[in-house]
Amino acid sequence: MSATGIGAAVRRKEDQRFITGKGHYTDDVNRPGQCCAYFLRSPHAHARIKAVDCAAAAKMPGVLAVLTGAELAGDKIGNLICGWMITSKDGTQMKMAPHPALAHGKANHVGDAVAVIVAETLAQAKDAAEKVSVDYEPLPAVTDPGKAQTEGAPQIHEIAARNTIYQWHLGDQKAAEAAFKAAHHVTRLDFINNRLAPNAIEPRAAIGEYDAGTDGLTLWNTTQNPHVARLVISAFVGIAPVGGAQNRPAGEMGVGPLGGVPHRRPWPRPCHSCRDGVRRRQQGHRPARQDHRQSRRVHVDVLVVGADLSLRHIAVRPV
Amino acid sequence: MSAVALTVNGKAVTGDVDPRTLLVQYLREHLRLTGTHVGCDTSQCGACVVHVDGKAVKACTVFVWQLEGANVTTIEGLAEPSGPLHPMQEAFREHHGLQCGYCTPGMIMTAVDMVNRKGNELDDPTIRHELEGNLCRCTGYHNIVKAIAAGAKAMGKGPVQPTT
Repeated sequence: MSATGIGAAVRRKEDQRFITGKGHYTDDVNRPGQCCAYFLRSPHAHARIKAVDCAAAAKMPGVLAVLTGAELAGDKIGNLICGWMITSKDGTQMKMAPHPALAHGKANHVGDAVAVIVAETLAQAKDAAEKVSVDYEPLPAVTDPGKAQTEGAPQIHEIAARNTIYQWHLGDQKAAEAAFKAAHHVTRLDFINNRLAPNAIEPRAAIGEYDAGTDGLTLWNTTQNPHVARLVISAFVGIAPVGGAQNRPAGEMGVGPLGGVPHRRPWPRPCHSCRDGVRRRQQGHRPARQDHRQSRRVHVDVLVVGADLSLRHIAVRPV
Repeated sequence: MSAVALTVNGKAVTGDVDPRTLLVQYLREHLRLTGTHVGCDTSQCGACVVHVDGKAVKACTVFVWQLEGANVTTIEGLAEPSGPLHPMQEAFREHHGLQCGYCTPGMIMTAVDMVNRKGNELDDPTIRHELEGNLCRCTGYHNIVKAIAAGAKAMGKGPVQPTT
């Protein structure tokens, strides 16, 4: 291999700042006058939220605001959108329940954000979070995908009967059934593909900064998809995307969309939030489990002639 | 509030902080030395490793008030300012021991401490065992181990000229 030109190894450019500790990961960014946001999250897998009392928290030292799903709804800040519509095998669209950024009325998983506390420092925000009083009515929960689809299982979203949002198929069912009938041997196996959490080591962080002069919002975020994130936020807060989405030279391992909650009321100061590890795994990184049921039809000389795979996927909704 | 006075990367620093302030928070938020990272909340990941009085310490697991009078070195202080890179830093670059770079400061600080304790000839099993306190989600560790072995040797040879 030559030292230069075609075939030469090319040194990475980004290593210099990473090996000297001079990277600009999202949590490293410090905007003038920034305040800190901390999310209060449901400890229940499924619960009605009867009331959220923020009065005591709002009076705590350094607290600038305490916001709940009620405020978002009151400000007409829309629900988070789903960028990928799936059509079921019967031609109907998938059953998509409303997905507010802060839970309103019901918490649907452990870690579902119920309130956000904004304060001068993170320590003050966390102290105030302990003073938010949430009246939960715990409801029955289900964590096994097979059980979630049985009659009588707790219903999480009204729109999705038996917690099924779509049924999708691919292939030729008649041909598969015929091959089954003609096979010398049929083996059926159930596999559980255990729950996966992408869990990049860099925690999910976001900084939102509003510019009153342009009515514009700048978001620093740990995402690998800045254009998608920008579209989602635009739809969410009702601000049209302007100009280009820049991928700032920050850490490259952000996974998923934003971590902050934009507020439609003009917010005069940049607001910084960063997830800690436990919360990240609870709800930030789309842990997903797949249950597979596979049948293989086997010809006598051990040639697999066909496969029938049924797959049940349980996903914790991403925020 | 607690008053603290310590030395960080050769400079005397003082502060008046909430007693719950961890060393990693003091470094990142008060001194704006953001090279030391927070990658977990369980002291497992090692992205926060610094040297305190010459020994590797996880900065997330110590309160800054506990370090009154201590000498702290972070990744930013490993090489001389405007000098060449530390041989261990150079080795990580040379051997592609990083991808996103988030675990890298902690890996390098742990590696330097490893050499200080175990010498310049480190075999794979030793390196892997000594890295049990550092997690990486990108590389699969293989090149990190190679980088550390090379960096350890280079540390025994004196100052290194940068390759590029």
